[in-house]
Formats: sequence, C-alpha cells, structure tokens
Amino acid sequence: MFNKDNKLEKFKDAETIIGASIKVKGNFNGQGDIVIEGMLEGSLKTEANVFIGEKAKVNANIEASEAMISGEISGNIKIKKYLAIGKTAKIGGDVQCGEISIERGASITGQILVATDEVKKNDNKKIRPEEEA
Amino acid sequence: MNAYIYDDFLNKSRYRRALNKVEIRLTDLGLNGKIIRLGAIKNVKEVIQTEIKNGIKNIIAVGNNETANKVISAMITNKTYGFFQKDILFSIIPIGDNNSIAASFGIKKEDDACNILLARRIKKIDIALAGNNIFLNKAELVSDNAQIKIGEDYVLELTKKTKVKIVNLNDDADLVYKERIDPCDNLLNLVINNRGIDNTFITSSDIRVSGEGQLILDESVSVPLPTDVGIISEKINIIVGKDRSFN
Repeated sequence: MFNKDNKLEKFKDAETIIGASIKVKGNFNGQGDIVIEGMLEGSLKTEANVFIGEKAKVNANIEASEAMISGEISGNIKIKKYLAIGKTAKIGGDVQCGEISIERGASITGQILVATDEVKKNDNKKIRPEEEA
Repeated sequence: MNAYIYDDFLNKSRYRRALNKVEIRLTDLGLNGKIIRLGAIKNVKEVIQTEIKNGIKNIIAVGNNETANKVISAMITNKTYGFFQKDILFSIIPIGDNNSIAASFGIKKEDDACNILLARRIKKIDIALAGNNIFLNKAELVSDNAQIKIGEDYVLELTKKTKVKIVNLNDDADLVYKERIDPCDNLLNLVINNRGIDNTFITSSDIRVSGEGQLILDESVSVPLPTDVGIISEKINIIVGKDRSFN
C-alpha cells in the first residue's frame, strides 16, 4: 500500500480527496480511503486508510485503519494497523498504532504507543465507564 | 405515443433545414407524434402535464440544454410525479449549440437522435435539484469565497478562485475522476479542479452552497446563492445511445 512507487496509484481510488486549495472545517467521517492535501480543522475518522500530503495542515484528531502522513498535524493519531510517517511530517500529538515506520527527518512531539493489543485495551477502558453509567 | 417539444429558438430560419430533415426521418421510421411549440405556450408545465394525463408515453425535447431543462422541469415538478409520470420516457433531439446533455446521453447529432429513438435503449438516471430547479448534468460555480456544506458534518472553504462542479451526469471527457461518476447511484459528485493539478472529489446527496455568485445548472439556468443541492427520490427514464457517458 505505501510503497513509494505505487502510493499515488493506490490512492487514485480514494473515496474522498481534499485538494490543496481547500480548507475543511468540521467532523469528517468516512467509510473509504481519504486523501488530504489541503487544510482540515475538526476531526477525521474512517474505517479505511488516510493519506496526508506534504503540504497538508491538519488540526484534528485522526482515526483510521492505516495511514501515511507527510504533512503537518496538530492532534492525536490513532491507527489500528500500519502507520507510515514520511520525512516531511510534523506531528504535534500522541500517536497510537499497530505498526509504525518513521522516515529520517520526521518530527513528532508526543507519545508513541506501538502495540495492537495495547490500543485495544485502551479502547475497552474508555468504553467501560459509559457502560456502567 | 410521442410528443416532440420544440423550443422557440427553432423558429429561426437557420434551423428550418435541420428540423425538416428530422421530421422526414421520424416519419420514415414511424416515430411521428404530436408537435408542441414552446414559443406559443405560456404555461409549459400545464401543457406537458395535460399531455401526460392524455396518455403520452415518450416526451422528446427538440433543441438544446435549456429546452431539456424546461421540459424535464415541466414533467417532474408536479407533486404526483412518481405515480404515472415515472413511466414516461424522455429523450432529446439536439439542434443548435449548447447540447451537452444530449452528448452525455450519447446523442451527438439530430440524425443519430432519430435512430436512437427507434432503438429505445432505456436507462434510469437520478434527477438533481438546486433550490427548486431541476438539473441532469451539472451545477457550476466560479468563486473564491464560496462555502460548501456537506451534510451536517463539515464545510469546505475555497482559498483561491476556483471552478466548482456538482456533477450528476458527466458531459466532460476531460473531467478529472470522470470514471467514478455514476448518474444512477443517488449521489452527487463535487469536483473542484484548480489548474489541473489541485483536485478535490467528494460524493454526497446533501450539499449547501453559499457565498457570492450563482450556480449555473446545465449551462442554462442560474440559481442565486445560498442554495441547497440534492437528488430527488424518483429517477427518470431516458432513451440513450451507445456512446453515452455512463454504463
């Protein structure tokens, strides 16, 4: 999915594509792949994959199955499976994922938790209080 | 039974030859029917609804995009649409310029149109709505400050002067992501293209456009902003050619 040679080809079929000249405000929920090349403020959640382009500026929490991040993100990132962080990425927030790769040059200010089981446990903890209530 | 709705611009002498050719061909093919000339009619909706009630089965707009838009609006605005009107077939015989709707149906010339009507290849497609105005192909806007709300969830803001298209049925062979546009999926496609490199593509059936300017529907009808854009629940049956822009 994230091979350098075929990454753009893979994302041609993305359900939603936000271009560089667009600013999005609000809660972005989807079922399919999402590509962000512009600005996003709010939250971003999908059951599929997310691609954040080099020039993208995202001020939002992100939840997805897999993600490739090359842009600037201010918010927490929660990825169920694989997270690839490119050399141009600047992340200000905590990162949770199942697997990770970080290219030299990327900047992350926050905690990184890489463990599929841990992510699941944390999910369960969050659910319990609501169930009791 | 067929009803041919002639737009008033066809009264001009330069279209006489094309019209004669069409009329002869339709007669040869046994497709002749009632001719209704819009120039002589004040209330198009009433006339077309009366024809439908009287048992017309095929309504053919003869003219351009504007003609098609007028005829479809007259067919569908009636509140009882979805009962007996939904079985009516619609098609176009393109004459003159500005005929992108016919092109997307796979009808390039008036000669082709007669053969396509005879072949009766039928497809059911979505009907889009902007405010109280119907469109089949697309709604367009050029703006640098428009806001586009998608459902109740999020808002897109343009940061540069950009052309925004809300597409139901594609008529543009060069449109980016054109292969993903399906006029039968109950969804509209928001396509924003900035100099060919910076593209946005979103699908939704609930779009609100606000800001300065106006939406141009099917290159023929203008709608002031703000306006809601969506899909109506019924589809329309159309007669199309092999070279249509969709499956």
